[in-house]
Amino acid sequence: MERISRREFVKRTAFAGALLTPLPAILEACSSGTSSSNKTTKLTIAAVQGAEDGPLKKVAPMYQSQTGITMEVVEFPYDQLFEKLVTTFQANGSSYDLCMMDDPWMPKFGTMGALQPLDSNFGFTRDSDIPAIVYDVGTWPPPHGPVPPSEQNKSQHLYGITIVGNVEMFMYRKDLATTAPSSWDDVLANAQKYNKSNFYGYVIRGKATNPASSDSLPILWSFGGDIFDSSWKVMLDSTASIDAITFLTQSLKKYAEPGAENTDAGDRDRLIAIGQAFQSTTWPAEVTGVVEAQGVSQVIGKMAYIPIPKGPGGKGLGMMGNWLLGIPKGSQNGSAAADFIKWLIKTDNMKTYVQNGGIPTRTSLLNDPTLGQANPYFPALAQSLAANPNWRPRTDQWNAVETIYGTAVNQAVAGLKSPKDALTAAAAQIRTTMKQAGYPS
Amino acid sequence: MRAGRRRLSRDERLAYLILLPALGAVFVIVTIPFVLVVIQSISADDGTLVGLRNYSRALSNPLLYDALRATATYSLIVLPIEILFGLGFALLVHRTVRRPGLRAAIYVLAILPLVVPPVAIGVVARLVYAPSYGVLNVILERFGAIHQEINWLGDPNLAMLAVASVDIWQWTPFVYLVLFSGLQTVPRESVEAAQLDGADWWAQFRYIDLAYLRPLFLLIIFFRLADVLRVFDHVFILTGGGPGTTTQLLSLYMYRVEFKYFDSGQAAALAVLVLVSFSILYRLISRALPLERT
Repeated sequence: MERISRREFVKRTAFAGALLTPLPAILEACSSGTSSSNKTTKLTIAAVQGAEDGPLKKVAPMYQSQTGITMEVVEFPYDQLFEKLVTTFQANGSSYDLCMMDDPWMPKFGTMGALQPLDSNFGFTRDSDIPAIVYDVGTWPPPHGPVPPSEQNKSQHLYGITIVGNVEMFMYRKDLATTAPSSWDDVLANAQKYNKSNFYGYVIRGKATNPASSDSLPILWSFGGDIFDSSWKVMLDSTASIDAITFLTQSLKKYAEPGAENTDAGDRDRLIAIGQAFQSTTWPAEVTGVVEAQGVSQVIGKMAYIPIPKGPGGKGLGMMGNWLLGIPKGSQNGSAAADFIKWLIKTDNMKTYVQNGGIPTRTSLLNDPTLGQANPYFPALAQSLAANPNWRPRTDQWNAVETIYGTAVNQAVAGLKSPKDALTAAAAQIRTTMKQAGYPS
Repeated sequence: MRAGRRRLSRDERLAYLILLPALGAVFVIVTIPFVLVVIQSISADDGTLVGLRNYSRALSNPLLYDALRATATYSLIVLPIEILFGLGFALLVHRTVRRPGLRAAIYVLAILPLVVPPVAIGVVARLVYAPSYGVLNVILERFGAIHQEINWLGDPNLAMLAVASVDIWQWTPFVYLVLFSGLQTVPRESVEAAQLDGADWWAQFRYIDLAYLRPLFLLIIFFRLADVLRVFDHVFILTGGGPGTTTQLLSLYMYRVEFKYFDSGQAAALAVLVLVSFSILYRLISRALPLERT
């Protein structure tokens, strides 16, 4: 056998390495080329981990058995899902055929042009049994309200179909109070009346950023305040906005749980479920997951669910938190993905989905008395959806704005700043952010 | 022929050739991303060059100074306490525990906090400090130390102490392990000679042990400062940076700029600024604490 020198050995090894390195990529390229030319055999869904995707995971195998298409649900925690989707869309990746999206993400994805239009590409039309607002929230640019400057010349398309019809509602102990609070003044009066040692009159979800923002926006809107007006002018430091946040962080806080500035949804649900609090805002998933969950809650059947109470102007505005399914632009299986969405929102299939813990968007299902028995919040949700709840401002800057606003509310809840000082500083920061992003702020 | 230049020997060339994959990996993993970050820091989202505008925006954002203040406060709490506790424990074990089995058991116990995922530690810490059901308040109430529950995570000062305490619990064992290994290298003869000369424990520590530990202090400060810059998980879980921005450390702030604001230019500028300023800080520390034993 030929003896080779050390030098020669290193040379040959390096050469062989250089030849073999791209082999996996070549093989991968060959295999993906093959599969794209065949019928779809698998759909991959990027989903949010938790109560929102649980029912989806339960019904996906039914679709699989009917069509033979393997359904893979890849779960991520809330924050990571958003980051994962943004980075995937930036790279026009084809990892996911469907993605679950929280409705405030739609502006970001719409602006990025990250999704395939469901109406023009796949023939989706509006169904009269599903409230118009549910379609509106999946449409980009938004059909009403201010449109971001960069999006004003784009044509509207439907990019997402709601599969979790979340709207923020209000809950209170109906075994203690016989009449429902119709206004925030009633809420305050009840908070004062029922507050006692170790039983809190109101629960504030005041943890910094998203929790504080979600908890306070319905109050802000119901008091006539807002973050932006119809032309993107920041109005967070307006009298109405300051009054709203003062009401939450000073008037209601007197009767709220200790550590409200660090309370998130889980902490709120725990206080309600162990019978230590009278009332709060809530989301459907909190109701099914904790407050009305057998073996978990001590207040099953004792809570009532109503739309958000009215503010001084006589309006009560709930907040949408719909979860939508969309088809990423990079997906090679758009038609099959669209078929799955169509299958999922059919009345019968949605009923099965609801029976597995899903939150419907169909009015007929929300008003179905059989389903309503197991889901006592359905009538309130139907009323909230019918009343055209607000959505969070439709701007791709929403995450930044929410972080600034949610931090300001948290500062006010913690007593670090007065509501006026916190909102004035937040308004200035939001103006700077929006101006840098090209908005007329 | 030019003076000072000579042909590399065959062995030298082979050595460089063998080093090449490692250097190549460093180039790909470290150098290229760093260059990309620098480019991103002077670019807009659409890729156009904007000069130092991102740096100017980063430096003019008041939240940066809140984050720097929080990070400095956090460091000033955790570093001295970890070093003092770690040193004290290392000296205690070194001087009083002689049985190898017991030393090994302490070693294993010290390793445990280091291998627990920070997320798990954050969740457990939340169960300790949370209002109304937090274990700490319950214990303090049972022993009559408090009559009204303490708002550990809602009060700005206490929230900082709460997040710092988690760091102290997790990383004091690291300081102990490093310093204990340093104490093992102190020659027995030097200690015995000092004892014969009548040196008390303080003199032994000051004139013998400390000389061997000094380079390790530098190592600890380097590692811990780098870690403090990366602290994220337990702060995110415990306080989310709140109340307000009082516990929003630099890492959490940079995360929010990149992944909440999606302002890649500003986030890249922040990353470069942090890298440069901490390189300078490291240089100053290494000058103040020379590696050579005196």
